[in-house]
Amino acid sequence: MVSLARKTLVYEWRRFLPAIVAVGFAGLLQLLQAALVLGIFGSASVYITGSSADLWAGYPGTQSVNLGRSIDAGVEMRLRMDPAVTAVEPFHWVDADWRGPSDTGGVSVFVSGINARPDGMLFAHALPPALRARLNEPDAVIVDRADLDSLGVRVGDSAVINGHRVRVVGVSNGLRALGGVNVVASLATASELDTDPSNVNRMTYFVAQLRDPAAAAEVAERLRGNRAFGKYDVWTAQDFARRSQLYWMFDTGAGAGVLFLAGIVFLVGAVITSQTLVAAVIGSIREYATLNALGVGVGELRKVVMEQAFWVGAIGLVGSTVLGGIALVLARTRSVPVALDPWTALACLVVGMGLAIVSGLAAMRSLHRADPATLLR
Amino acid sequence: MNQPSPSPAPSISLQARNVSKSFTSGAVRATVLHDLTLDMRAGELTLISGPSGCGKSTLLAILSGLQGTDSGHVIALGQDLSVLDKRALERFRLHHTGFVFQGFNLFPALNALEQVELPLSYLGLTPVEARRRARASLEEVGLGPRMGLRPSELSGGEKQRVAIARALAKEPDLLFADEPTSALDSANGQIIIDILHRIARTHGTTVLCVSHDPRLVGHADRVLGMEDGRILSDRVPSPLSTPTPGIEEPSA
Repeated sequence: MVSLARKTLVYEWRRFLPAIVAVGFAGLLQLLQAALVLGIFGSASVYITGSSADLWAGYPGTQSVNLGRSIDAGVEMRLRMDPAVTAVEPFHWVDADWRGPSDTGGVSVFVSGINARPDGMLFAHALPPALRARLNEPDAVIVDRADLDSLGVRVGDSAVINGHRVRVVGVSNGLRALGGVNVVASLATASELDTDPSNVNRMTYFVAQLRDPAAAAEVAERLRGNRAFGKYDVWTAQDFARRSQLYWMFDTGAGAGVLFLAGIVFLVGAVITSQTLVAAVIGSIREYATLNALGVGVGELRKVVMEQAFWVGAIGLVGSTVLGGIALVLARTRSVPVALDPWTALACLVVGMGLAIVSGLAAMRSLHRADPATLLR
Repeated sequence: MNQPSPSPAPSISLQARNVSKSFTSGAVRATVLHDLTLDMRAGELTLISGPSGCGKSTLLAILSGLQGTDSGHVIALGQDLSVLDKRALERFRLHHTGFVFQGFNLFPALNALEQVELPLSYLGLTPVEARRRARASLEEVGLGPRMGLRPSELSGGEKQRVAIARALAKEPDLLFADEPTSALDSANGQIIIDILHRIARTHGTTVLCVSHDPRLVGHADRVLGMEDGRILSDRVPSPLSTPTPGIEEPSA
């Protein structure tokens, strides 16, 4: 079988190049946009995704992890009583004001008071054990390396949080947050920094580890109903992380912006690609008409056009993937927050292929001009 | 060159019965074919000649099933084409007809062998059989040594021979040619018409050629003179006849 579509694509590659480039760039833009959005808004839930806890207990209706209100300390007991739970630890969240030694003015910071023991769940993925151990020093705090400039400090410097002196004992990666700067401290230090008197004997969150993490949803359901310790709710880490990310995405309007931009990219890409494919069909219209005169059905000719559209899409998207991979590696080395999971990447590529297919369908319509009777002139 | 052999009478393969066709352009209605009746025999090269605008291309389009009639019937190989829908017509053309056009209409990306193979693959032939037939057709039109070349590497006459091989490889019963020589010089035109004539003789194909090229008259088995949508003359030319002044004369 002679592959007309592929042979033409190879021989007349210049004619198809604009379409390939259009699909390639559309795919690349979708990939990078998705990676940036996931990277930026993924940091909204860094407390959850950077920790090893399976369950989170907090104030009912909390939309995002940074909006937590305190709950009764007795909830810890309720969690510990459940046989499925193997460990529970508190998470003390303090919204605070930072004044560094350099002239940076006031910086809004989120202080995370965590269990500094080596087996602590919070920030288990973001803090190496040696660094975590240093939090046990009085008034010790850890910040993200990328935040040093905005805080105006270096490791070893002192600063003031809510009027209380603290000392930066180390830096880590993967602590960057949205809407403010993350500062990690021990539970003891954090309670010193919390100036709200109503928070005595209360805690922002309790996190729990389960014997069987796969049963998280079930256990959360079971723990949720109890009202003996006042208002609280229990979520799986996955649910709470997603809720926090969605809150930021839609609260900031970024979600709508992303969808809008994705639509524009799709539209522009489809216009360029379909015009190029239409021009290619029109350029060969007499040859297509001759095939039809010889009895090759219009359906078969449409297949040729669609195959061309498919290959244009495939080649373009291979380009997107390669360029996207390079861009992501570059972004990582520059501490630009990017994250891309395989499913999202696949979705972006499917959108790119959809663009090529839609363009092919548009080009297919111009085949109606391949009327063999017009060749008899 | 052989004399056309009128006996034993070859079978009638293509018939037009009271065919009329008109086109409407704005308020003007122009009748292109006037109640035309015609029989064509297998194994013959029939030439329809006449000035441009006389309706000969329309007649070819109707006889080949590319266009419908306003009234009347076309019966090709015993099949009334007017009762077939678009799909069935495509299928009929796939299995029974070949076309050669004035423009060669070859795909720039394919070499001569692939041009000929391409329509064969839609016939349901195995790749091996398609390739064998394509090679044989190209050998027959004398392009055996050049079958690996693309259209850009072939001369006009060679391109038309590829187009003929493409039509011939399908082993059609009916072969239609529209002004096949008008884009070619006289030597190449001569080769093309000889090939078409030979196809009619050796394959028993009904070859219908439309042309206003007077050089072709001497090579046809039968010449139909056409003017204003009517057949005015129907004659068997003498092999070395020169065009007589009149309706066979090119108009432009």
